[in-house]
Order: sequence, then C-alpha cells, then structure tokens
Amino acid sequence: MNEITVAVAGQPNSGKSTIFNMLTGSRQHVANYPGVTVEKKTGRYRYQGNTVTLVDLPGTYSLTSYSKEERIARDYLLHEKPTVVLDIVDAANLERNLYLTFQLEEMGIPLVIALNMMDVAKDRGFAIDAHKLSELLGAAVIPTVGKKHKGGNEIKEAILRACQNAHSQTPYGETREAGSVSPGISRKKDSFRIDYGAELESVLMPLEERLLNDPKFSFRYPARWLAVKLMENDNEARRLVKEIEENYHGDGYSNPR
Amino acid sequence: MTLNNIKPGCECLIKEVNLTGSTGQRLMDMGFMPGTKVKVVRNAPLVDPIDLLLRGFHVSIRHHEAEGMEVEEL
Repeated sequence: MNEITVAVAGQPNSGKSTIFNMLTGSRQHVANYPGVTVEKKTGRYRYQGNTVTLVDLPGTYSLTSYSKEERIARDYLLHEKPTVVLDIVDAANLERNLYLTFQLEEMGIPLVIALNMMDVAKDRGFAIDAHKLSELLGAAVIPTVGKKHKGGNEIKEAILRACQNAHSQTPYGETREAGSVSPGISRKKDSFRIDYGAELESVLMPLEERLLNDPKFSFRYPARWLAVKLMENDNEARRLVKEIEENYHGDGYSNPR
Repeated sequence: MTLNNIKPGCECLIKEVNLTGSTGQRLMDMGFMPGTKVKVVRNAPLVDPIDLLLRGFHVSIRHHEAEGMEVEEL
C-alpha cells in the first residue's frame, strides 16, 4: 500500500485546519473546488513508507444538499472515493458534532475520529471515554489537542490501520465491475447502524433492500445512506437516482416486475 | 408560545420546529429538535439577534427564525 487519500471532514470550528496543518506541516496548498469559490486545500505527509494525501473538506454541520459547502463535501465523499475519512470532532461540543459523524458513518467509508480540543472539554468538566465511544461508533477515536500538536502520530497510525482493515474487508473481490465501484463504500456492513425506530424503519428497510438488490445502485452508492436520503426527500439524492435510472444500459439485467 | 417570546435568562423546551427549507434544515442540523432544552441568554428586543444556549453551545438566530419554533417555558 503506497498511496492513501484521506478526506478531512468536520463541523465548522472543530479544528479541521489546525489538525490538517499539524499532520502535513507546511506542505499544503490551496486550490478551488471546481465551479465554486470554496477553497480546496490538499496536503501530504509520509508515514511508514506510505504517501498520504489529505483533502480538507469544507466545514459543514451535516451532509444534506442545501448549501454549496455541504454538496461539495458530500460529492467528494461519494464520487472521489477517499480511502479513509478523518472526522474532526470538537470534544467540547460532542453532541452537536456527532450528528455529522453519524452521517459519515452512514456513508460507509472507513472512519477515523479525532476527538479534538480535549483540553477545552476538560476545562468545561467533561470526561469523555474515548474507548467506549470507539466501541459504539466502530471507528478509532483519537483524543487530540491540535493547538498543542497533541495526537498527530496517533492519528497517522489510526489512518494506516483503518486502511489495512478496509483492504482486508473489501467484499467485492474479483467480481466487482472495473471502474464502477467505490472501494470505500459498503465495506462496513454491520459495524454501525442507526435504528430509526419502527415507524421509519418500515419505510427505510424495504427501500434499502431494493437498492441493495439492484446492481444499478448497489455498486455505486451505499444503500443505507441512499435510502435515508430518499426518505428525507433530498433533492440531490433524487437527482442521482433519476440519472442512474435514465442512463443505465446494463446487459443481462432485467427488472423482475 | 414561540421562542422569540422567551425572556433572557429563561429556559424552554422545543415542542415543534415550523421552519422549512435550508434554514429549518440548518437549525435542525445544529440540534434544534423537539425535546431540546434551550436557554435564552440575550435578546436584542427591536433588532436581531437572539443569543441562545443549547446542548452546551451558543448560537445566535434571528427573531423571525425564533418565531418558527414552538416552545414550552420551563
């Protein structure tokens, strides 16, 4: 394994840029996301023989498609296929920040969580059990203090381990269609799942099942994520589905109904 | 009663969020959900904004946004 791409996600003011700079030193540069005036910052570091490219995503409270920043972050995750997502969480605002974490989890990309600003959280009297959190979320949780350069090596190590796990767990193997599969998607099938309750699940689960059993979709997008977004009546998700329906000319595939 | 009627220093519970579109979505993303406890910290009576404390963080919103949230005073 040599080239690793890591998307750095997080809510505004969670310390994304601080962590980004801590990991990459001064080797980052700034570009624009195509078509919009939101800066795209990428940087690199080397760790144990691997070249890791970090892409700093715009800070967003969630991954709906209402704002430009959200659409950029979401499209990057869906289409550019980062190997790992590094989710920067403000430990002093854990509850609010975990909302984005849940959405990232739902997208099924291997996740490493930096529990940032642990010093501020401590000052506010919060005691956070990182191990328990890691168990519950099914992802590495690394306490950090970006401002004081604490936790950098632990993050690098966790990213590498997340990559190794991801590679060993890829379910597609030789059978996947070349070029059409996001390697980051659908890997963590049962490690994390939000139960939305009987009322919503009665809609969600059949929808998810249909998407999973339809190769047009199951090879492209995480079914659970797409089902949730469709249930929310998310415009972009509807557009994606429509586009796929209209453009699909697969061979050997026929709708049973 | 709506959130804009709550006096500074008082707390309330959100009963309903009657905001749609991107504003409603953003506020819900930030944790304005039915059942959430909100404290009104400061309120600029004639102009915006209202400073609120919820789930451990401060956020300022406009009066007309606060008007879209049905609350119950505590």
